[in-house]
Amino acid sequence: MSSTAVVAPRAGVTQLLVAGIGEMVISKDPKTTLVAYGLGSCVALAAWDPDTTVGGLAHFMLPAGPPGGPPVKFVEGGLQAFLEAFTRHGGRPGQARLKAAGGAAMLSIMSGGLEIGRRNAEAVAAGLAALGLTLHARDLGGTAGRTVQLEVGTGRLLVKSVSTVTTL
Amino acid sequence: MLLLTPVEETVLSHTFAHGLMRAGLALAEMTGHEIIVAAPDVRRCSPADVIAMAGGPDKVVVGIYLGIGGSLSGHALLMLPPDGARRLARILLEGVVVPAGDGAPPGDPFVLDPLEISALQEVGNVTISAFLNELGMHLHEPVLPSVPQAVVEMAGAILDAVLVDLSLEANQVLAARAAFIEGYDAIEGTLLVLPRPESLGALLEALGVDGQ
Repeated sequence: MSSTAVVAPRAGVTQLLVAGIGEMVISKDPKTTLVAYGLGSCVALAAWDPDTTVGGLAHFMLPAGPPGGPPVKFVEGGLQAFLEAFTRHGGRPGQARLKAAGGAAMLSIMSGGLEIGRRNAEAVAAGLAALGLTLHARDLGGTAGRTVQLEVGTGRLLVKSVSTVTTL
Repeated sequence: MLLLTPVEETVLSHTFAHGLMRAGLALAEMTGHEIIVAAPDVRRCSPADVIAMAGGPDKVVVGIYLGIGGSLSGHALLMLPPDGARRLARILLEGVVVPAGDGAPPGDPFVLDPLEISALQEVGNVTISAFLNELGMHLHEPVLPSVPQAVVEMAGAILDAVLVDLSLEANQVLAARAAFIEGYDAIEGTLLVLPRPESLGALLEALGVDGQ
């Protein structure tokens, strides 16, 4: 199965496209919602172009690593791949609303685990800055897991934790 | 994805079952209740399979985590449904202390009080340590668990944190359904052991199977 899912507009059908760990999903269908479930230290980056209403969601796992594997497993290389795919399907990164969520420190007793969420968040911000882009909104860090949903029709990004729901 | 051979599956299932029998004895000693910990099947499966076993990536569970060091390196995780976890905590706390109210703010089933969290950490500690002791006997060297940590979180988020540390060695998860049975009450959870790749091979070798 491809790890990049792209759908064309379809009238009257609401559907979910899920970005698993290291995967990205892109859609032009205003009835589609893009989802990344259960983010711990992973970071999800949402891109939504308000003019073309193309939406994309990438689920990054680590800041960097060896090549190979899922296309956006690592921010290094994966960020570029995500924005290129977004562009190919009509999105314009320079005009897009870019939002990020995740990067939590889930298990405080796990050695090294606390740093990875923070480093993931920093890698996304640094990678965007290197391309002249900035985040429009973020919900990063903390100790809570998150599920994020990007509504392609509106660009709203819902961020859900066990006890809260916020909109970016 | 690598699959367990029938021989590996049998040996690992037997090891899990034996270790968890010890866990049941330890929990029974702690509580004065007869508690059976059963693990009917053991599988090596992908993280997606594990999350499905727990009810889905955004299913809220109580996760009790222990790091593993010594002769076996990796992570261990016991995931329980919140209502079952609370019942299990009450069994442990019975006769020790009476929690105020029902232990959770009204309307919030996902908040456990500190005593319940502490009791569940002990459940995870006893269960996972008993199992690790069983593995250590086969490895002829001690397996050293860390202190436990219990969190109430989405299953996917807990597993995500562990997998990130392993850099997504996706085919290296050993998973068993674990049922805590006390009287007529069965609380079903999922016990995960995530060895580092080099440790899994050593473990299978120590158990008398080649790990290929």
